[in-house]
Amino acid sequence: MEVEDLGQHISRRFNEDLEHVRSDVLKMGGLVEAQFDSAIKALAEGDSELGLRVAEDDYKINQMEVSIDDQCSRILATRSPTASDLRLVIAVIKTITDLERIGDEAEKVGVLASRLASVERPSTNYRELRNLARHVKAMISGTLDAFARLDAKEALTVVKMDDAVDEEYESICRQGVTFMMEDPRTISRVMDTTWTARALERIGDHCKNICEYVMFMVYGKDIRYTTLDSIEAQFAEDEGGKEQSS
Amino acid sequence: MPKRWISHLVGLGVWLGCAVLVGFLLGSVAWALVIALVVYLAYTLRNLFMLDRIIFGAGRLPLFDTRGLWAELVARADRLKARSRGRKRKYNQLLREVRESTGAIADAGIILNADREIVWFNPAATRLLGLYPGQDIGTRIENLIRHPDFVSYLDEPVDSSIVIPSPKSESDTLQIQLIPYGQNQRLAIIRDITHETMLERTRRDFVANASHELRSPLTVITGYLDTLADDQDMPESWDVPVSEMLRQSHRMTQILRDLIELTRLESTESGAPRDFVDVAEMLGEIQREFSGRRGIASITVHIETDAALLGSESELHSIFYNLISNAVRFTPADGSIDVYWRADGATAICDVVDTGIGVPEDLVPRLTERFYRVDTGRSRATGGTGLGLAIVKHALQRHGGMLVIDSEEGHGSCFSCQFDPQRVVFRRDANPAGV
Repeated sequence: MEVEDLGQHISRRFNEDLEHVRSDVLKMGGLVEAQFDSAIKALAEGDSELGLRVAEDDYKINQMEVSIDDQCSRILATRSPTASDLRLVIAVIKTITDLERIGDEAEKVGVLASRLASVERPSTNYRELRNLARHVKAMISGTLDAFARLDAKEALTVVKMDDAVDEEYESICRQGVTFMMEDPRTISRVMDTTWTARALERIGDHCKNICEYVMFMVYGKDIRYTTLDSIEAQFAEDEGGKEQSS
Repeated sequence: MPKRWISHLVGLGVWLGCAVLVGFLLGSVAWALVIALVVYLAYTLRNLFMLDRIIFGAGRLPLFDTRGLWAELVARADRLKARSRGRKRKYNQLLREVRESTGAIADAGIILNADREIVWFNPAATRLLGLYPGQDIGTRIENLIRHPDFVSYLDEPVDSSIVIPSPKSESDTLQIQLIPYGQNQRLAIIRDITHETMLERTRRDFVANASHELRSPLTVITGYLDTLADDQDMPESWDVPVSEMLRQSHRMTQILRDLIELTRLESTESGAPRDFVDVAEMLGEIQREFSGRRGIASITVHIETDAALLGSESELHSIFYNLISNAVRFTPADGSIDVYWRADGATAICDVVDTGIGVPEDLVPRLTERFYRVDTGRSRATGGTGLGLAIVKHALQRHGGMLVIDSEEGHGSCFSCQFDPQRVVFRRDANPAGV
């Protein structure tokens, strides 16, 4: 794949710049992961202080987005990258927007967690939310791993996981409606849990977007708004072609 | 010149000499020489071919001569070849053993180069961190282990190791240690400490629960003893036992309170809050509290800076109170205790210097252990719980501070708390007008 040729630029500095941007994106990803973990921990343990801290720390992610954006503009302006380098820079610019959104959703979960900490907890201790969060967490780390390894297969696996997340979100919503009908006193709490589930579901969507950018980066094909089957068929074709040519 | 060359050259000379002689007899010296040289060339080429086959390992051919230059060369090449084959086998075996043993180690090991790229890792790294063998070689480690704590540890290894949740499963805890070696290379050792962490938590929970459970019966006992001590109808012979029981039950309450405080400090992971605390005023208050007591050394507070701290008021109070009450207990009444509040660059330091009995140097590191007593009889008699310095240490850690103990037996000690510059505020910064 052309992307592997990142290591062979005439200008060593150019390489370093690209490598640096990539590392920074993953550093930002690590921050987002940690924020998400803290938000979920705050939710599971009813730790309102931790939830608020997540909301406070969101500025770090925003700062990183600004700094990476700046680096990308500089690379575009001074190096005029082409082919896979250009794809990398474009993918990075798009990825950080989604990462920042994930950070915002984590912030939202943090705030909601601190609010939920002060009301009576259901006997399940939000098991369904924690389940959903576990899936979403797997998506986030899978996405970042795929980005780090430029692994289109892993990215595709993550995209497939999004369906399960959507289903779980649906069922949480339905469950919430049942609760509210049974006992109107739970309405405010159920509203908050629904918002939390909504935020988690959105995080899954953002992960899916990033995975699409990863596939774009690796294969140079835009696969947004296409069905999974056609993507897979396309990849199989590409793999076959590559084997024949090599 | 080695002997084999001399004999070879002599042989060649004799051969050419014979050719010249024969040529002379037959009347064509030039042709005889040409034929002799062609024969020599053929002989040399044939031997060269032999050598080639030996060196490149294509089986050997019989040699014409058993002695001389070529025989020696061939024998030598043979020997070298055999030796290198033996060495190769030995290295291969060694390599296999090393690989097998590193594969059997339960801890993950990753070798990083100067650019933090993964050079090598063992199978345990795949198990603990989910690295892909082969594919992940050459990837920067922070791209795959992205926890912010790990990344900052990679940038600046302040502590000897760090603890992060496992990237594979969040319920597991990993301890990572970086060991620099060679030319800017680093070895990362990763251990799964889930079990240890759980044991530690169980221990902490046990102590906390036990202390809480013990406190309520003790309150009842203390209450009754209080009433008994005040009772006028009590026979006089009971006065001493009851007051002693009361004293001991108060001491027990104090120990339980300290234990609960200590577990609380230990179990909260995050740093202390950042409330504004006026240290100078707090030290003055503590001094006034002690000044009422009789039979203790005189306490002097020296305020040398206008610095204040951002921290938890109750925890800072317990730091200073414990240090001063510690000094009071181990300083004779005619001694003196000096408390300094001073700034050193951006940090602020509180020194508590006494002229007490001091501690032997080799015991200093043990002072902050729970229930550790240098002189068991003495400290119990003076009413310590044995937990004071442990509380100081943990509370200081939560404030990003450090406790430095300097002591000389028989001359006194200096306990010095150094605070994290990020928690120190100077009033001159806050109020540039100097009002």
